[in-house]
Amino acid sequence: MTDLAELVTRAQTGEADAIGRLYDQHQTEIFRYLWARVGERSVAEDLTGEVFMRMLTGLPGYRPSAAPFRAWLYQIARNLLIDHYRKTSKRKMISLQQVETVGDGAPDMVTMLDQRLTMERVHRALTRLDDAQREVVTLRFLGGLSLQEVAQTLGKTENAVKALQHRGLATLRHVLNQV
Amino acid sequence: MNPEDLLQDRLARLETGELLEAVVSDLPPAEAELVRMAASLREVASVEQSNTAAQRQRLVRAAKENQTMSPQKPRARWMWPAALVGGLATVFACVAVLALSGAAWWVVSRQSAARDVPTQPAPIVAATAVPVQATDPQAAVLTQVRGVVEIQAADGSWAKTDSGALIRAGARLRTRALSGATLAFYDGSQAVLGPNTELSVDTLDAPKSGARVIRLTQWVGDSDHAVAKSDDPASRYEVQTPSGTGQAKGTAFHVSVSIAQVVRFDVTEGVVDVSHLDVIVIVVAGQSTTIVAGQPPQPPVFSIVGQGEVTQIGATWTIAGNNFLTDASTEIIGDPRVGDWVAFAGYLRPDGTRFAYSIVLLHRSLDNRFAFTGEVEVIGDTTWTIAGKAVRVDDVTRIEPGLMVGDEVEVRGGIADDGTLWATSIQRVIPNGFRFTGVVETLGDEAWVVSGISVTVNVSTTIEPGIVVGDRVLVTGQVLDDGTWLALTINKLEAETFDFVGVVISTDPWIVSGIAITTDERTQIDEGIDVGNRVRVRGRVLADGTWLAESIEQLDEGRRHHIEFTARVQSIDPWIVGAVVVTVDEQTKIIGDIAVGNWVTVKGNLLPDGTVLAKKITRVSRGQGCLTFSTVIRAIDANQIILLDGQVVDLSGDIEIEGDLQVAAVIWMRVCADEDGTLRIVSIIVIFVLNEVPPVIIITPPPPDDGSFTICHRPPGNPDNSHTLTVDAGSLQAHLGHGDTLGACGSGDGGGDDDDDDD
Repeated sequence: MTDLAELVTRAQTGEADAIGRLYDQHQTEIFRYLWARVGERSVAEDLTGEVFMRMLTGLPGYRPSAAPFRAWLYQIARNLLIDHYRKTSKRKMISLQQVETVGDGAPDMVTMLDQRLTMERVHRALTRLDDAQREVVTLRFLGGLSLQEVAQTLGKTENAVKALQHRGLATLRHVLNQV
Repeated sequence: MNPEDLLQDRLARLETGELLEAVVSDLPPAEAELVRMAASLREVASVEQSNTAAQRQRLVRAAKENQTMSPQKPRARWMWPAALVGGLATVFACVAVLALSGAAWWVVSRQSAARDVPTQPAPIVAATAVPVQATDPQAAVLTQVRGVVEIQAADGSWAKTDSGALIRAGARLRTRALSGATLAFYDGSQAVLGPNTELSVDTLDAPKSGARVIRLTQWVGDSDHAVAKSDDPASRYEVQTPSGTGQAKGTAFHVSVSIAQVVRFDVTEGVVDVSHLDVIVIVVAGQSTTIVAGQPPQPPVFSIVGQGEVTQIGATWTIAGNNFLTDASTEIIGDPRVGDWVAFAGYLRPDGTRFAYSIVLLHRSLDNRFAFTGEVEVIGDTTWTIAGKAVRVDDVTRIEPGLMVGDEVEVRGGIADDGTLWATSIQRVIPNGFRFTGVVETLGDEAWVVSGISVTVNVSTTIEPGIVVGDRVLVTGQVLDDGTWLALTINKLEAETFDFVGVVISTDPWIVSGIAITTDERTQIDEGIDVGNRVRVRGRVLADGTWLAESIEQLDEGRRHHIEFTARVQSIDPWIVGAVVVTVDEQTKIIGDIAVGNWVTVKGNLLPDGTVLAKKITRVSRGQGCLTFSTVIRAIDANQIILLDGQVVDLSGDIEIEGDLQVAAVIWMRVCADEDGTLRIVSIIVIFVLNEVPPVIIITPPPPDDGSFTICHRPPGNPDNSHTLTVDAGSLQAHLGHGDTLGACGSGDGGGDDDDDDD
């Protein structure tokens, strides 16, 4: 049994220390993922807390055979996000029917890297991706999930995630270079 | 390998710890860029959560409680503990940049002392009377200090200073977040420092007559300058920045220096010469110029400011019925959403498009939102009954732990299309709760001062470790019977809201328990509030520490089961508002000419059967906001004026006009958007008169040794006869004003040299 699996098992019995350690191990990535998605730090902090509270209530019913723990945790976070948007957000998402392929133009990474990426800037750029690309890019690079974990979280094949990952990064590059 | 597999292959190598440059070394540039993009996303800076310790503690505590909880309990509500004070909504991270008047705190303490009102003691730390005018031409007096203002000592350390301090040449000052101060000079000039601003006083000799010389260097932040008029031609008032200098004579202007050393001068009155790298740009009232580090000032542009409702968000924002372009440099504060009310500032681009450099959230939209208080009657998994009203809850509803049937709670949430009330929060009503964001001014064992408010701390106060003077903190607590503000928590959070219960000291201006409250047209204020009433005030803390109220609600026994909400009228007989059936009786006040489709605010009571009995239904003004922009009158034709961009304005309507409309006049034009999006010109104010209708006015100094300039003269109406001229400095402006350009004409411009000013 891996350390994480052991920790999850202990947490499922209600052991407070194990629950605290699960929080320690995953809080940062969950928060980064949520902040990138909602774009508002304080909201992301609140939602992060709620993710772990839901983890607490859901742990007794969690089955490792159904999904790896991280994928399960991110599913909680995604569900919270969906509820959050449904209830609070009236933001109009502007969807570029984005650049699906990487252009031949000279990459302007110097310019781009001159402007330090901030979470606010990333969030604004992410709003220009379509939902599927945004999910993959956020989970993969802000949340730090592996390709396999993203596929498990989203219920997609790894090939589909690869394609979305490629298109999402290409669109993001296009958007960030534009601004 | 296809591009998608190739990308994944390289990302996987990156994840194993291989160096980025090695990973991308053999990739085509475009593919390498994607890998770099992924790497940079993983390193996005400043993303650490600020409240992890408290959050973890709550989680672990909940876990322990969970273990001890009775299994017979109908439902375990593992909701996030609501931040201790009743009725607190989502914390909005917002750093406003509005430069509102900051004189409030000192004024407040004086006014509250003067009124004989039965009230809780004001928590404001009393300010001592200080002079507001310098008595020495070579010193400025520091006044209207808010928050934390510091002065640098000779050894480079910073020490807190306060109103009344004398500031002389050589001094260096800085303000912290939510802070500000004014430098009052002997000649009457003033420099108002905004939050997070650092400024040096380089030269200071400001007699009331004779040559006045004030030279300041603004390193970062925002400042406003009001320069006293001086008849002495040797007088100087200069603000230097790392990227350029503004020199003014008897004028008012704003200076903004970003951390990236992008500088902007906005002129509101008179003229400011802005120079850098041997280029001077003359900026007149209504204009602004920007200087990017290492570059000369950009040609002046006409300014736009205003407030309004956001109806579109994206690369192009629509605010107050007008479109604004934005880019990565646009400062968007508070995460405004469609429907919210914002302040904005920007300028008109030469191509006629509008660009916003700042968009600041002022008020969240109230559309389809509700709030009421009442007794919990039924607690269910998906539905609670509170004061007879069914309220839906789900896993994201913030429910204060431990709520039971019989508790008095406040419910806030949204109204769904079918009239269902979805709760976003259900929290116990705590009498006299408070919550606010401020800057720590002093720390003490028994009391702290936060943004001028003295809060008591004791063993029951949870204080996040590591807080120091100058930090922004969120304070929650309870106002005790003796008026003491007892802090229950103090955390380093970037919340921007406040919420407290207090006693009205004054309603004009608004002062509640000694705290000055700013209101605007969007502030919802209960009718009939008078001095001495207990009120609940909620709102937003702006960047300069100003408290802008979202609502001021009267608290009395009659408000039990009070409900209010804002929504669109679906039917009038019977009344259905936002799908909620509303009962009206002979005592219901219907205010305004209301028709189906209008937006209204309903205030009333929840009856025992859960229906809403309206006490008042008020039509809500749905104007989308107003913008004010500057421009120049190019021509006047009968009852019309023609603006610089060719737009024709008919003056026959109901337009308020101030000043003498004439050709070359710089004007502020205020335009408002009605509910249906119709734009109306409300007022035109003349603020300056140019010598001629511009093109852009740029002079390149220094002048040649003989004081003359070579220009390409393009005779008006006869451009084919362009020819090179040598003119003196005095007539240069007139030439540039009608389209001549600096430097000799090219070969295609025709004409020969001429040493005379023939224009």
